[in-house]
Amino acid sequence: MPALWIVAILLALAAAGYLAGRARAIRSAGGDRRNMHSLPSYYGANVAMTVLIPALGLLVLWSLIQPSLIERSIADDIPAAAIGGDTTLDLMMADVRRVAGGLDQLGTPTLITKPAEAPSEEFLSGLREDLGSVGVALASDIAPGVFRAARSYQLAEANGRFWMTIAVLGVGVLGLAAAYAVTNREFRARNVVERGILAGLILCALIAILTTLGIVLSMLFETQNFFSQYSWTEFFFGLEWAPDFRGNSSLSIIPLLWGTLYISLIALLVAVPIGLFAAIYLSEYASPRMRTYAKPMIEVLAGIPTIVYGLFALITVGPILRDYFALPMGIGESASSVATAGVVMGVMLIPFVSSLSDDIINAVPQAMRDGSFGLGATHSETIRQVVIPAALPGIVGAILLAASRAIGETMIVVLGAGAAAAQFNRGLGELVNPFEAMTTVTVKIVSQLTGDTDFASPETLVAFALGLTLFVITLGLNVLALYIVRKYREQYE
Amino acid sequence: MNDLALAAKTEAALKPKISAKGVDVYYADNHAIKNVDVNILDKTVTAFIGPSGCGKSTFLRCLNRMNDTIDIARIEGEILLDGEDIYDPKVDPVQLRAKVGMVFQKPNPFPKSIFDNVSYGPRIHGMARNKAELEEIVESALRRAALWDEVKDRLLAPGTGLSGGQQQRLCIARAVATAPEVLLMDEPCSALDPIATAQIEELIDELRQNYSLVIVTHSMQQAARVSQKTAFFHLGNLVEYGETGHIFTNPEDSRTEAYITGRIG
Ligand SMILES: Nc1ncnc2c1ncn2[C@@H]1O[C@H](COP(=O)(O)OP(=O)(O)O)[C@@H](O)[C@H]1O
Ligand SMILES: [Mg+2]
Repeated sequence: MPALWIVAILLALAAAGYLAGRARAIRSAGGDRRNMHSLPSYYGANVAMTVLIPALGLLVLWSLIQPSLIERSIADDIPAAAIGGDTTLDLMMADVRRVAGGLDQLGTPTLITKPAEAPSEEFLSGLREDLGSVGVALASDIAPGVFRAARSYQLAEANGRFWMTIAVLGVGVLGLAAAYAVTNREFRARNVVERGILAGLILCALIAILTTLGIVLSMLFETQNFFSQYSWTEFFFGLEWAPDFRGNSSLSIIPLLWGTLYISLIALLVAVPIGLFAAIYLSEYASPRMRTYAKPMIEVLAGIPTIVYGLFALITVGPILRDYFALPMGIGESASSVATAGVVMGVMLIPFVSSLSDDIINAVPQAMRDGSFGLGATHSETIRQVVIPAALPGIVGAILLAASRAIGETMIVVLGAGAAAAQFNRGLGELVNPFEAMTTVTVKIVSQLTGDTDFASPETLVAFALGLTLFVITLGLNVLALYIVRKYREQYE
Repeated sequence: MNDLALAAKTEAALKPKISAKGVDVYYADNHAIKNVDVNILDKTVTAFIGPSGCGKSTFLRCLNRMNDTIDIARIEGEILLDGEDIYDPKVDPVQLRAKVGMVFQKPNPFPKSIFDNVSYGPRIHGMARNKAELEEIVESALRRAALWDEVKDRLLAPGTGLSGGQQQRLCIARAVATAPEVLLMDEPCSALDPIATAQIEELIDELRQNYSLVIVTHSMQQAARVSQKTAFFHLGNLVEYGETGHIFTNPEDSRTEAYITGRIG
C-alpha cells in the first residue's frame, strides 16, 4: 500500500479516535463537562495524538531504514566476479534500482520469472524495450545477474512495504485502543496534550538544528576527502587557481577569496552609504505619506531575482562602465569587471541596508531626539550625534548581514564579473584594478560541480572545501555582528 | 526720590521674562490651549498645575517651540521673550532653544559618556574655545546640578548607567551647560524616588538665583515648596495665576479650590 494511503487511513483513525475519546469522556462525566478534568476536546485530541504520533514515527523510520537494509542484502548477493572492468558496485546497484523501478511500473505478467531462474537472452532484450517504453532507458542489455538482483530487490521491497503497512496500522490501532481505554473524566488529558505539543515544538527545533548539523557534517566529510588528495597548505596558501580535469591542478582558494572580498567591498561601498542615507531620509525627514509610498518601492529591489540583476549587469552596467570609465582611462577593455558586479550587487543590497536601518532608527526613542532638540541642536546635528550613535549596533548588524549576502552571491558575479579567477602572477596592478574581470568562490563552486564529473577527483571535491571555507567566513561575520551588537548594548542600556 | 527709586526697582523686578498673549494651540481639531495670557518673571520659579490632559505640557512646549516638531500642532497668539516674538519668522527655533532649555519628564540621557552628555550643548553651540574651557563648563554645570561629587571619577562612563535620580540631574546639568536664560521642566520628578526628588527640588531653588524656571508638577506640595508663582490650568484654560501662597491658601476660582483640595484631578 502506498505511504499516502497509510497516512490517510491513520488520519481517519485519528479522527474517529478524536470523536470516540471525546464522547467517552463526556459519558464518564455523566454529560456534565464541569465534572471533567479537562475540556472535552482535550480528551479527543489525546486519543488522536496517541494514534498519529507513534504510527507516523514508525512510518518515517521504516521508510528511512528499509532501502539501505535491502540494498545491503542484495549487494551481498551479487557475486564479486560480476563486478569489474568498467563497472563498479555502485554503478551496478544503480542499474538494479532502475530496473526494479521499471519492473514495478510495468507490472506485467512477464515478471513470473522467479529470481533463481536464469532468464533467456531474448526475454532480457524484450524487457529492455519494455522498460524503455516506460521511461527507463538502459545503455546496454540487462545482464542476467542484474535482472536477478532487480527481481529480488523488487520482491524484498514489496515484502517490506507489506509488513510496514501492517506494523504502522497496527501501532495506530493499538494507540487508539490504549488511549481510549485510559479516557475517563479524571484523566488529565489537558496536561498530556500540552506535553505532546511541547514535544512537537522541540521536534521542529531539532529538525532545524540537525539539518544544519547534517549539512556541516557532509561538507566536512567531503572536505576531508579533498584534503586527503590535495595538500591543504597548497589550498589555503597557494596563489594559483588552475583546475585541470586531466589532473595536476592548482587549486588555491586565495585568488577566489580575493575576488569575493573585492567584489563584496565594492558592493558594500555602494550599498551602505546609499542605503543608510535613504533610511535616514525615510525615518527622519519624509512625511508619513512619502514614507508609505517610498518604503515599499525601495523594498521592491529586494524582490528582484538575482539573475535579473545579472542581466542588468551584463547588458547595461558593464558596457557603460567600460565605455565611459575603463576605456577612456585606458585601464581595461572588458565589460565583465569587478566594478560591474560590485555596483550591481550594491544596488541589490540597498534595500537590505535601508530597510533594516530604517527600522532601527525608528526604534530610537523620541525622548532622545527631544532631548537634543531641547538643547538647541538642529535636526541633522541630532541625527549625527544622537540618533545614529544610538542606532549604531543595529546598523552594524545590518551591514554585516548585507556583507554575508554579498559574499554568497553567485549569479550577478557570473554575468557581471565573469568566471576567470584572479591571477596573482600578473602583478598587483591587475589585482586591484576594478575594471579587470575576476570571479568569486561561489562561482567556482558551481563551475567545478557542473558538467560530466564524478565526485572523486580533487577538481570536484574542492567545491566542498570552498563551500566550507565560505561557510566559516560568513559564520565568523555573524558571530562578529552579534558580538558588536552585544557590546554596544551593554554600554548603552 | 526714595519712592521713585523703589518704584523703579519693583518695575525692573516685575518686568516679565516671557509674556504670552492670547495663545491658542490646536492639535489638528483638538483645541488644547484656549486663549492663555501669562507673564513669567525672571529669577522666579513658576509652577504649572492642573489635572492630566489640561494642556500644561503643551503650553510649556510652546515656550521653546518644541511643538514645531509635531506636525499636527498649530499655534496662534503671541509669545514674547524679552519683548521679542519667538514665533516671528526671523527667529531661529534652534537658537531659541539654546536660550530656553528644557528638562523632560523621563530622564533621557544620550547614549554617550557623562562628559559628552554635558558637553553636547556647549559643543554644538561653539561655547568653548578649547578643551580646557569645555572641561570647565562641564564641571561647573555638574556642580550646579549637584552631581559633580558623584561622577567626577567616572566622567567617561556612559550616562545611561546612572541611577534615575542621577540621570535626571545629568539632564539638568546638560541643560544648564548651554547657559539658558529660562529653564522649562516638565514633571522632572515624576520618575524619581523621594530622596532624588528632594535633591532636585533643592537644585531648583538654587538655580532660581540665575534663571527663570517653569516647572510642571502634579504634586501640590512640590508646587508649594519650590515655586513663587503658580498657574492653574483646566481643560486648556488658564484658570488662575498668582502668588503661590495666595493660590494655595486663598484660591479665587472654585475650580482651583476643587483641584487643590483634591476634588477634581
Ligand atoms: N503630540 C500630540 N498630538 C496630539 N494631541 C496631543 C499631543 N500632545 C498632547 N495632545 C493633546 O493635548 C491635550 C493636552 O495634553 P498635554 O499638554 O500633554 O496635557 P498635560 O501635560 O497637562 O497632561 C490633550 O488632550 C492631549 O490629548
Ligand atoms: Mg504632561
